[in-house]
Amino acid sequence: MAERSYGKRPWTFYVLATLFTAFVIFLYAPMAVIYILSFQGPTGGLVFPIRGFSLTWFEALFGQARTGDVGGAFSRSLPLAFIVLVLTVLISVTAGFAFRRRFHGSGFVFYTAIASLIVPGLVLSIGILRTFVTLDLPVRWYTSGLGAHLTWTLPFGLLIMFAILGRLSPSYEEAAYDLGASKWQALRYVVIPIVFPGMIAVALFGFTLSYDEFPRSWLTVGSKNTLPLEIWTMTTNVTSPALYALGTVTTIISFIAIAIALGSIAYIQRRRAQRIGKRS
Amino acid sequence: MDQTARTTTASAAAPQMSGEIRLVNLTKTFGPTQAVKSINLVIPHGSYCCMIGPSGCGKTTILRMIAGHETPTSGEIYIGGQPVVGLTPVRRGTALMFQSYALFPHLSVRDNVAFNLKMRGVSKEERYQRVDEMLAVVHMNAFADRMPAQLSGGQQQRVALARALITKPRVLLLDEPLSALDEFLRLRMRGELKRLQTQLGITFIHVTHTQPEAIALADTVVVMNQGSIEQAASPHAVYALPRSAYVARFMSGQNVIKGKVRASDGETALIEGPEGARVRVPLNGKAAPIGSDIAVSVRRDAIALRRGAGNGELGENEVRGSVQTVEYQGIYHKVTLAPVGGEEFIVIEPEDAFFAHPVNFGDAVVASWRTEQVHLLEPDATEGPAQPYAEDRAA
Repeated sequence: MAERSYGKRPWTFYVLATLFTAFVIFLYAPMAVIYILSFQGPTGGLVFPIRGFSLTWFEALFGQARTGDVGGAFSRSLPLAFIVLVLTVLISVTAGFAFRRRFHGSGFVFYTAIASLIVPGLVLSIGILRTFVTLDLPVRWYTSGLGAHLTWTLPFGLLIMFAILGRLSPSYEEAAYDLGASKWQALRYVVIPIVFPGMIAVALFGFTLSYDEFPRSWLTVGSKNTLPLEIWTMTTNVTSPALYALGTVTTIISFIAIAIALGSIAYIQRRRAQRIGKRS
Repeated sequence: MDQTARTTTASAAAPQMSGEIRLVNLTKTFGPTQAVKSINLVIPHGSYCCMIGPSGCGKTTILRMIAGHETPTSGEIYIGGQPVVGLTPVRRGTALMFQSYALFPHLSVRDNVAFNLKMRGVSKEERYQRVDEMLAVVHMNAFADRMPAQLSGGQQQRVALARALITKPRVLLLDEPLSALDEFLRLRMRGELKRLQTQLGITFIHVTHTQPEAIALADTVVVMNQGSIEQAASPHAVYALPRSAYVARFMSGQNVIKGKVRASDGETALIEGPEGARVRVPLNGKAAPIGSDIAVSVRRDAIALRRGAGNGELGENEVRGSVQTVEYQGIYHKVTLAPVGGEEFIVIEPEDAFFAHPVNFGDAVVASWRTEQVHLLEPDATEGPAQPYAEDRAA
């Protein structure tokens, strides 16, 4: 006989809560270890216990040649991620609008774009390298590397835009036309402001996917490494906490990117709220 | 279907800013389906027209074609005598109020209403002054700085109305404007729409699927079925003198009885209906050849109920039935009898008559009426479903 209870939790709650806790530890504990170890003193090693506290390894990261060309890697990865961001937003948004009205062959174009999500990155990387070499084109991070990254970010951007534009009722545009807006005005004053948060999401994806992309970069960026490749190289020949310091720095940059994205959404909302309060 | 629509050709010399609408052989096909089938209709300037019909009957498609958001497959639309197919909504002088209202979620009430003026490059000062005037018309001044999401359904509707009217249209098109409101607000906004239309003197075309709404508001009710017009006439004509069995059933003011003509004396005809019922119908000059199949309608509020099964033969204009449901509606009782010959049979009894001899579920009754209350129906214009909205139609 089960007793009547007032909201007593079933045993499954505790099983699932334990499972979830284990998952969170698995997800974040390794990262936390790296961040903590990166702030060690000069005598620190790759494992616990911690020996002192300093920023030595961050200096070592950009100072000495023996840790590899970290500064150079950043100077390639950040511009690359930014170019990818801009192109991903431009192409995904315009393509998203094109797909809103079913055009002839739209299904084929869609599946072609999505196919590059399924093809293994390394295989794609080899293909792009071969193509560039065969056509005698320069293999650089800003040529073949950029193209390789776009094969990864564009399908994502397109899928996000589909989700956003799918929720955008066509009656907003029709209302704009009905109120005398030209096609351009409807886009500028109605559609883009409504889908803008979605465009920021596309930008964020474009940036972060490019910034930490490894398999598609491996063979396509040419002789100079981007950051993920540099980190990979360092794991094979650097045996100091400088490696961890690099992990901390790249994480901070990712957080900054996310903060900029969320911050700009919050800023837009606040500006709108202010505009409302302006006349009363 | 020319005989079903009111086709007038005497309106060639319409004034420039007239809001008279003329639809000529208007047709719209979506792939294999014909949504609108060669419609002819004239809606006079400054009148209130309600288009009514079940979902998918083509009424919204017609509205969208008049608004310029849908291109006709063939035919022409004239507004104030000017052909408008291919013109932008603004050049047509129409404004559409969307069913969802489609208020721009990122703009305040004021900026929503000002949108048209902004697109036309009107200065901010003048824009906001005219917006405030328009908001006063719909009693929304106090909410000018709110965002649409902060408004109730009724308030959103007023804003949508103001936003449409600021374009100074000669035709206002309303796509099921009251369907998103609760009953109380619906009745209030209904009154306001009528008041506004009278005040502005422009043409209103209002699409609805609610019968009381249509007959309460309209100068002309257009009853549609499967892309064709079944009847376009005054609310009284549509309700009291339905052209076809479809209209009678749809407007739900009348019971339809089908039968064969057995006798005729030129003035009236005697029809043999289901279960031996004999119905006499005035012909009013119409022909009813003996032996032909025919349908007539009887007003639901002109039928008397006699308790008990009655003994022996039924007289003329009488049917026997058993009570299925009784609904109290305040000023009357709606008594539904078991279907007579497959047709729904409803009696509207005034309160005092009902309470004098109440009936309950299962009671045997005899329903009777006078010959003047019987109306001869023409065949349906379209072969549609026999009972539109059979499940959910209002009394």
